[in-house]
Amino acid sequence: MANDHKDAVEKGRSAKRVIFAAGGGLALVALGALVLEAGWVPTWISGRVADTADAESIYFQPPTDAEIPEGKFGDAIKRGRDIFMNTSTNAGDYVGNGLSCSNCHLDGGRQPLSAPMWAAWTRYPMYRKKNDQINTMEDRVMGCFTFSMNAQHSVAGGPPPHGSDIYRDLESYMYWLATGAPVNEKLDGTGFGKVEKTELGYSPERGAEVFTANCAVCHGADGQGQKDANGRIVFPALWGPGSYNWGAGMARIDTAAAFIKNNMPLSQPGKLSDQEAWDVAAFINSHERPRDARQGDASIEETRLRFHDGDQIYYGKELNGVLMGVGTPDPERPIGAPELPIGPTPLE
Amino acid sequence: MSKPRKHDSSKITRPPESYEPWESHNRIPLPVIWIALALGIWGTAMLFEDQTSYTVAQSAREAGEVMAHDAPEGGEALFLANCSTCHQPNGAGVRLAVPPLEGSEFAKAGPEVVARIMLRGIDGPIRVKGFTYDGHMPSFAAALSDSEIAEVAGFVAARFGGNAAELAPGAVAGLRGAAAGKDSWQGGAELATLVADLPPQPAMRAGSEADIDPAISDLIFAGKGDVWACTSCHGGLGQGVENTPRLAGLSGGYLAGQLRDFRDGARYNEHMAFVAKGLSDPEIDGLARYYAGLRVASTAAPSLGGDLARGEEIALHGDWPRGIPACFSCHGPSGFGVAPDFPALAAQQPAYIASQLAAWAGGHRNNSPLGLMDQISAAMSEGDRRAVADYLATLPAVPAVGPDAIAQLEGSDDGQ
Amino acid sequence: MNRYLPLVVVALGILAFATLMLVIAPGIQMAQRSVPEGLRPYSEQEQRGRDQYVSLGCVYCHSQQPRAPEQAPDGERGWGRPSVAGDYVYDRPHQLGTMRTGPDILNVGARLPSESWHLTHLYQPRAIFDWSIMPAYPYLFEEKPEAAPGDTVVVLPEGFGPASGVVIARPEALDLTAYLLSLDRTYPVPEDALRDDGYARKEDGL
Repeated sequence: MANDHKDAVEKGRSAKRVIFAAGGGLALVALGALVLEAGWVPTWISGRVADTADAESIYFQPPTDAEIPEGKFGDAIKRGRDIFMNTSTNAGDYVGNGLSCSNCHLDGGRQPLSAPMWAAWTRYPMYRKKNDQINTMEDRVMGCFTFSMNAQHSVAGGPPPHGSDIYRDLESYMYWLATGAPVNEKLDGTGFGKVEKTELGYSPERGAEVFTANCAVCHGADGQGQKDANGRIVFPALWGPGSYNWGAGMARIDTAAAFIKNNMPLSQPGKLSDQEAWDVAAFINSHERPRDARQGDASIEETRLRFHDGDQIYYGKELNGVLMGVGTPDPERPIGAPELPIGPTPLE
Repeated sequence: MSKPRKHDSSKITRPPESYEPWESHNRIPLPVIWIALALGIWGTAMLFEDQTSYTVAQSAREAGEVMAHDAPEGGEALFLANCSTCHQPNGAGVRLAVPPLEGSEFAKAGPEVVARIMLRGIDGPIRVKGFTYDGHMPSFAAALSDSEIAEVAGFVAARFGGNAAELAPGAVAGLRGAAAGKDSWQGGAELATLVADLPPQPAMRAGSEADIDPAISDLIFAGKGDVWACTSCHGGLGQGVENTPRLAGLSGGYLAGQLRDFRDGARYNEHMAFVAKGLSDPEIDGLARYYAGLRVASTAAPSLGGDLARGEEIALHGDWPRGIPACFSCHGPSGFGVAPDFPALAAQQPAYIASQLAAWAGGHRNNSPLGLMDQISAAMSEGDRRAVADYLATLPAVPAVGPDAIAQLEGSDDGQ
Repeated sequence: MNRYLPLVVVALGILAFATLMLVIAPGIQMAQRSVPEGLRPYSEQEQRGRDQYVSLGCVYCHSQQPRAPEQAPDGERGWGRPSVAGDYVYDRPHQLGTMRTGPDILNVGARLPSESWHLTHLYQPRAIFDWSIMPAYPYLFEEKPEAAPGDTVVVLPEGFGPASGVVIARPEALDLTAYLLSLDRTYPVPEDALRDDGYARKEDGL
């Protein structure tokens, strides 16, 4: 009897304890859930990552177009940006093909590893082996016009002269893009990056297959790019008279391979393996393009020895029995030269 | 346990006759109070949470509506929003492709000429400032209201042509009436009738009318035994509705490729599979040719509540840190497409664009070359997908292009 | 039961409060909003089709209420914009539905505007979707050796139609299709439309 009673009391107590514990536990869970839902828990406990974090990048962040200041400086930045994005119109007299700065310097010169302007700006003036002297930014951009824009076939027949407003506007744009960037330091994302050499080396034959599978959909099976209904260039030509000339950095296979590996196909950087990047770069640069602007009256061999010796380039070499570097024929008239007036009988 | 109960019951004393039972109450157990308190706090907090979400959603929506309704004010903002992808913000155009407005003979001729060009668009060669351009300008009749056209035309004439004449919205209504039912201006040759003292204009190529094969026409408008009529879903002009896409003006190579993909199962959609499995190759090519040649004004309008400014940003500039390139970097600088793999996006139905982007992101559509769209769509947030779909719906449709120009554009696909 | 009065008072009070908050207040709130301009009443044929819809019990599998993007990806499914209260002014009884065994069809007339598609699909859903679990409604159709003038022939792929002759839509099928095609709430909503803004995540705004 007494034992029974004691047992019952004991049972009642343990039941009470269980109820108290469960109730307290529930209350704690509810409070915990509230705290978690409200976002009062530090992320290292909750493991949640804020949505904004994924847009953060390890690279320097240049300002956006919306942040262009007002006033004369802002106007110069905008002019510079317009030249950068649409070079063949806004600096049309000095562009001998249809290319714009933004064709290789993606996202208006912002994209890391596509030679972003914010990184380049902080490193000039700089010594360059290409011409064995100290180069100012103006010298450097002049080189872009001379080689990548093939200025020799433009209306002016050469790059904008020193002191041209074109340089001033472009440099304003670059200076502004580099707002807040540390000076005299090699920033992450500078240039096009590098692709490790592969055991197999590079081969245009293998590259042709890579090209058909990955590049032809945009740049065309013939590598001549594509235009829209109005004749605007949407995808630039990779070789031939409408492309960069033999003196351009992109004509070197290692430079092209790095650009391709880190930027192409557009939106899928790193899709190609190192081997594929080398091969397809070799394939693209195994085609003829406008002659090296520095050749002058010199022979191809002299030009090769002077400017291309030791480079990863087909210039001046024989490929399948054909000497490379001869150049595409000069255009009848510079591209963009004024047209003849239409007489009483319209030309057709 | 039955034993003690019996024992207890015998002990109970009988209550008096007039006894009214009552219930004594114990204290509410502490845990219950805790739980009630916790739930109360939680509930209140959630109420506030929801309230802020509600306010956020409402203010975001209202901001979007404000933007959609009375966003760009003044001719310059309208010009930047509607004209600058082709003519450039500085009016310089694009060398050898898009005529400049800056100093153009047509801008100098005054706002009325500009408005008349905007209402009908241009198809064919035109000579501006000593250069001949052989391009196509869309008609803005459907995209802009009378007062908007008046503002843009006034801005263009004043800023780029130095002609400060005024144009009243009422006058635009009259011009709109005059332009109604007319095709685009046939190049500079026809515009010479409008503008005095133009330098000589190039002659228009003699156009040849494309004929539709009667069998194809039957297929489109009446269907056949096991195929519904194309028009029964895509509309009488191929203009599309909701998530049925606009077909008019898409490149023939793209349309034929998609029909074959439906037939072969490379693109999955039951309705189109049903139709496409009944089509022969010549029928597919005929249908593609027909729709590629249709030029129909836009019937699309933003309908998904997307942020138009964000959509424009993605379409024109992309969001590179997230791996989203600009739409127009491949689909053409004005969204008119690049044959044969990059279809026109301008004036496409927003529900269709959003559902296709979602399908790519979710792996339900797999026929994009190189998987380009799969990755780009997956990188876009749900809000971005709606934003870009809504923005594309605000653009004017693919401009009028003569049959010869279409043949020329499609020339590269004949080998396929 | 010696305190029945307070009990009854409290019970009635709760009932009155619930009625006020759940029926009367929403009713007043909805009545204040304008009817969307793009919404038109059902025609007689569409109303007959609607009666078919009700009697066939379509509501057991199909909802008629697309949700906001924060709640469900209905927009991306192509089901249309989130519905507002004004979209249902002419719907008596409403067919909102709670089950989504099949897709939401408040905008089916906009996303599937083809009459012949609907007739094929009603006659035999498996002719279009081999995985469809929707019942077929052959009794809305009849088989004839040959189509008479004015008959609507159903487009059917091989193997789904009769061995010989054609399938003709009865008036019931045509009415139902007319109703389905009238389901199109893609017009713009009025400024003051009543809608659900709940569940928007904070990150989405601002």
